[in-house]
Amino acid sequence: MTVEINCRGQACPAPVMQVRDILAVENPAAIAVLVDNEAASENVSRFLTHQGFQVSVEAMGNDFKVSGGRDAACEVMKDTELAALAGGVKKILVVIGTDRLGHGDDGLGAGLMLNFLKTLKEMGPDLWRLVMVNNGVKLAVQGAESLPVLQELAAVGVSILVCGTCLNHFHLLDRKEVGEITNMLDIVTGMQVADSVINI
Amino acid sequence: MTGEPIRLTQTVKGAGCAAKLAPGDLDRALCGLDLPVDDNLLVGLERADDAGVYRVSDDLALVQTLDFFPPMVDDPYAFGRIAAANALSDIYAMGGTPKTAMNIVAFPAKTMDISVLRAVIEGGLATMREAGVVLVGGHTIDDPELKYGLSVTGYVHPAKILTKKQLRTGDKLILTKPLGTGIVCTAIKAGLAGTEVTERVIGNMATLNRVTAEVMADFSLNACTDITGFGLLGHLAEMVVDSGHGMRIDSATLPHYPEALEWAAMGLIPAGAYNNKKFRGNFVTFVESVVQTRRDLCFDPQTSGGLLIAVAAGEADSLLFALKAGGVAAATIIGEVVAEPQEMILVA
Repeated sequence: MTVEINCRGQACPAPVMQVRDILAVENPAAIAVLVDNEAASENVSRFLTHQGFQVSVEAMGNDFKVSGGRDAACEVMKDTELAALAGGVKKILVVIGTDRLGHGDDGLGAGLMLNFLKTLKEMGPDLWRLVMVNNGVKLAVQGAESLPVLQELAAVGVSILVCGTCLNHFHLLDRKEVGEITNMLDIVTGMQVADSVINI
Repeated sequence: MTGEPIRLTQTVKGAGCAAKLAPGDLDRALCGLDLPVDDNLLVGLERADDAGVYRVSDDLALVQTLDFFPPMVDDPYAFGRIAAANALSDIYAMGGTPKTAMNIVAFPAKTMDISVLRAVIEGGLATMREAGVVLVGGHTIDDPELKYGLSVTGYVHPAKILTKKQLRTGDKLILTKPLGTGIVCTAIKAGLAGTEVTERVIGNMATLNRVTAEVMADFSLNACTDITGFGLLGHLAEMVVDSGHGMRIDSATLPHYPEALEWAAMGLIPAGAYNNKKFRGNFVTFVESVVQTRRDLCFDPQTSGGLLIAVAAGEADSLLFALKAGGVAAATIIGEVVAEPQEMILVA
């Protein structure tokens, strides 16, 4: 049975909230919503699509009829589930505080670091952000062997943040070639938001 | 006050800058008006800039602006702070220093306790104090819906006016506050936003663009605007029109409230966003891979948004560093000015 509701005369977000309440209480397989403005029509369409409905919109004079149907009536997702869904992939943040990997032989460490950066892409979409601090910022400047590797990561959407205070300290501000300048608040907020933080 | 705290957003239809008259309607009302001519009017209505500028002498010009709107948050004091920060922002966007202000108030005396009005004005005063601005008067009318804002006067050196024009090819574009306040405030109105995100968005909206203005004064910039009701792309479109330049925006870099993307997918988008898209959509080309919710962010009407600064590429990183050092944490390079295609914004 189709549930019909009239949301004419209502401004956003009222129509969406009314539809949400009805889905939560009646859980209908089909719904038709009458609205009197394009914004409400678009927003209700999106909400229904988001809830798994097939949606069609019909203009009726100055009004719009948004109709939605779905095969099997399913549970309205709770807000917490919606949040988890929006999260999707994991967020891994890697803090790089050195231009060498490990202690001991510096030449070996530099080579290992390059190899480490090249291999990072194997994390796939879970690799969210690199934060370069202290000597780590030297990996992101002109002439660094690691530069093309970092640029490749940036190109596929990995966020690269480079500590501004550190660049300034090493007089490298104008030689940074990849990533965004960052500050301690960004770094700390990133750590809080990330699902896991790896320190190198 | 007794009982439940008042929820201002439930008392009004529009919210914040999202309540602006649709830009297309405003254009129809204003086009072809016979405007007074005066050599000392350096920036007037026909330029559609952030504020008007009138030259008083060779080294002094007045900057004037006015902004008011219905509440976009529930707390009266927070609303007062935000409305004041929003009104003052236009002066900063012109490169000016605000000095005096007058309150503009519409108040539903029949349905709302007078203590609400007091809290709103106290919030406004707190922000004015922070900006070093004195309140010199005001005007209040009885109206079915609460509205508050300021008329602000400031000054600027005539040679240091920052308008929306004078873009140069290669300029980097820096945005100083996160996008998505319209969507987040719609979620607040819908009762879906938690305390943490509500406080975060209030904090950002109530933050003056003063530090940004002071920092950027040390750099040689030509163009600046503040991002408010017409959304990022609406305001960028105003910059590229008749400029002989275009812009390229990298949507992945846009500072934003992460929650806004989720709420946009749910249809919690203010009507103003659709108006903005309709009015300015023809200046914009999206690369196919830009997802819908990012596009929504680009048209979302902002209340007390950040400044958008066009700075020479060579100075961009130093300006960004100085902004972040000054506490403007969200400042990000979001794109650049390009020679071709003219008068178009490419969002990749």
